[in-house]
Amino acid sequence: MQGCLTVSRESQSTNKKFAFVKCGRMRPQILSIEARMEEGAGDAVTELLSGVDFENTKHQKVISNGYGPYSGGYANGYTCINKRNGYRGSEQNGHVLASSDEECTAKNMKGPIKNGYVKTTLKEPLKTRILKESFEPPTLLTAALTHISFYILMFLGYLSQALFPPKIVKEKNRDGYLPLFDRFASFYSRYVYRRIRDCWNYPICSVPGNEVVLKDRVTNDNGWTFEFTGSKTKCLNLASYNYLGFAENSGPCAEFAIDAIYKYGVTTGGTRQQYGTCDLHVELEKLTAEFLGVEDAITFGMGFATNALNIPTLLSPGCLVISDEKNHASLILGIRLPGATVKVFKHNDVKHLEQILRESIYKGQPSQEGYKPWKKILIVVEGVYSMEGTIVRLPEIIALKKKYKAYLYLDEAHSIGAMGKHGRGIVDYFGCDPKDIDILMGTFTKSFGSAGGYIAGTKELIDFLRKNSFASKYAWAMAPPVAAQIIAVLKILMGRDGTNEGQKRIETLARNTRYFRRRIEQMGIIIHGNEDSPVVPILVYLYSKIAAMVRTLIKEKIATVGVGYPATPLMEGRIRICLSAAHTKEQLDYALAVIEKVADEIGLKYSRKPIDPTPIDYDKIKVYVD
Amino acid sequence: MGKGVIGFINYWYFRYLLVTELYMVEKWERVMFHIVILLLLSLLSLFNTTVILGLVSWVTQMIFFQSSFPETAPSQAIHGEL
Ligand SMILES: Cc1ncc(COP(=O)(O)O)c(C=O)c1O
Repeated sequence: MQGCLTVSRESQSTNKKFAFVKCGRMRPQILSIEARMEEGAGDAVTELLSGVDFENTKHQKVISNGYGPYSGGYANGYTCINKRNGYRGSEQNGHVLASSDEECTAKNMKGPIKNGYVKTTLKEPLKTRILKESFEPPTLLTAALTHISFYILMFLGYLSQALFPPKIVKEKNRDGYLPLFDRFASFYSRYVYRRIRDCWNYPICSVPGNEVVLKDRVTNDNGWTFEFTGSKTKCLNLASYNYLGFAENSGPCAEFAIDAIYKYGVTTGGTRQQYGTCDLHVELEKLTAEFLGVEDAITFGMGFATNALNIPTLLSPGCLVISDEKNHASLILGIRLPGATVKVFKHNDVKHLEQILRESIYKGQPSQEGYKPWKKILIVVEGVYSMEGTIVRLPEIIALKKKYKAYLYLDEAHSIGAMGKHGRGIVDYFGCDPKDIDILMGTFTKSFGSAGGYIAGTKELIDFLRKNSFASKYAWAMAPPVAAQIIAVLKILMGRDGTNEGQKRIETLARNTRYFRRRIEQMGIIIHGNEDSPVVPILVYLYSKIAAMVRTLIKEKIATVGVGYPATPLMEGRIRICLSAAHTKEQLDYALAVIEKVADEIGLKYSRKPIDPTPIDYDKIKVYVD
Repeated sequence: MGKGVIGFINYWYFRYLLVTELYMVEKWERVMFHIVILLLLSLLSLFNTTVILGLVSWVTQMIFFQSSFPETAPSQAIHGEL
């Protein structure tokens, strides 16, 4: 099924109608449906900052379009914060999450604004983009066979475990202790994963550029143990997240990183709040904010921790999180920590998201005494989903978030650098205003060939995180050479190095992506995702086919990653291919030829879609012309 | 010719192993699985030939003799046996 959908960018000059309503504190009174909808994400935005309930403070609730308190009212709210957190000094403690145009409006307004109920009209859609997303469900026969074979595998596993139990199975829990591991999980890893374990965890012995050197190993006991043979294999690298090909051991970025080692060493010797900040960090944060087109940014030493430790800072019990079902583990961990209510919407299904939003705003917090609005509502999505290859429908979600006054957290781990005409991620790809997204998160691991993550947004948000985030309080600051590599890459992407290298890489990646995806589709293999997404999941369904394919491809000197449960649904095993700007057309052609051969051999041509047989000319593929 | 046939059989045996997930299990498990399946199949066919076939013949006889020759035929048959 090839679905085309048009998303229109919401017009900037929306018709605004502010309602001036005086308000006091929260009241547990019964509101009409309309009033509840107007309430939207509910309470004053200050709570986003503090994570504490401000119900009993005297400040006026001042909400404009659900973003932030403006003008007269906001001083009130913020003096509270200052007292609570015990810091003063910054002029702009007010946390104003607003898009630029609203800020102007707000400045012209005098007096407090309450519950600005903005009737958004979709006048003059500025930009549209056709999203070509492919998703083909398996035929009934394939699905049935996959199920049957899975039961065979389980049956044999349990049989084998019963007949020849390994020592670890016979182990009993100590009296009074709960088992450490889930029983099914340990069975699964012993009797499904172990059998094909040779397809994963390959040690590498070179820089993971367009080619990578693998350390060969053998197993003589069906995957329980491995031995190194001492030899090495050089493979074409379709496995690493190296979208722009900046994982290099030579060139300007590497030089800059090496210089940073000579100057600062490898560690900073402290957290950001102690003596851990050096000028590289300051420069990096300034550059990141500039690159993304927002006010400020904060960086952390690890992308996973950026999600897992910053989301809890922003939420508290009584908040609602609406999360996409395919979100990354780090997001899920971060969402679970603060004890907020979590609801999950179907992958990329904006209608379902809206339905959940409406229902939860109408019902309010689960409580005994009457209606209690949510403290705030946070929508958590990713830019490019790493296992599906799909792209978030950002313009529609921004429109929704504005309509219902929720906050938006966008994880750009896989899209920053890789998507958009200027490499500025999914926001750039759709031509949205970065200020419409409240919290922009991303990592430096994938496109930047480095490590770490960032959060970008308004100055107030970032200042708040600097003060309160666990990752800035307790985690070691990013290592200087790592920061230096990112700075060098950012400068190249922004064209500050005096060449057009950055632009060239972005275009090569886009061209490689379209070329590879179209060729694979021509072969009749099912792939998922958007035609512009550099992650290409090839559906193989069965564990045996994952193993057979990865093994054959490594024999043909191509390294790919197989993905199965728990990273995907149980019956949807896939081979994930990551394209890079470092790949040449010849390399891609070689990979495509081998994949076609293997697909014929092990039977991967599941697709029932009509195939367009016109040959594809690599040089004539159009990228980013609109 | 012979080689081609063997190759053909080998290839489709490989494909069969793939779709049943037997490709990734150990050899003895594969053998065990086939033995179990063969056992089940033979039990099933035994059951079919004895119980099911007997039942079917009995039922058809009943229907046949009772519906077309309601009174005379069945009793005759039974008498004949006795
Ligand atoms: C969506 C998403 N967020 C966060 C991360 C974590 O980033 P890092 O690998 O830099 O820790 C990943 C990593 O794979 C990811 O895919």
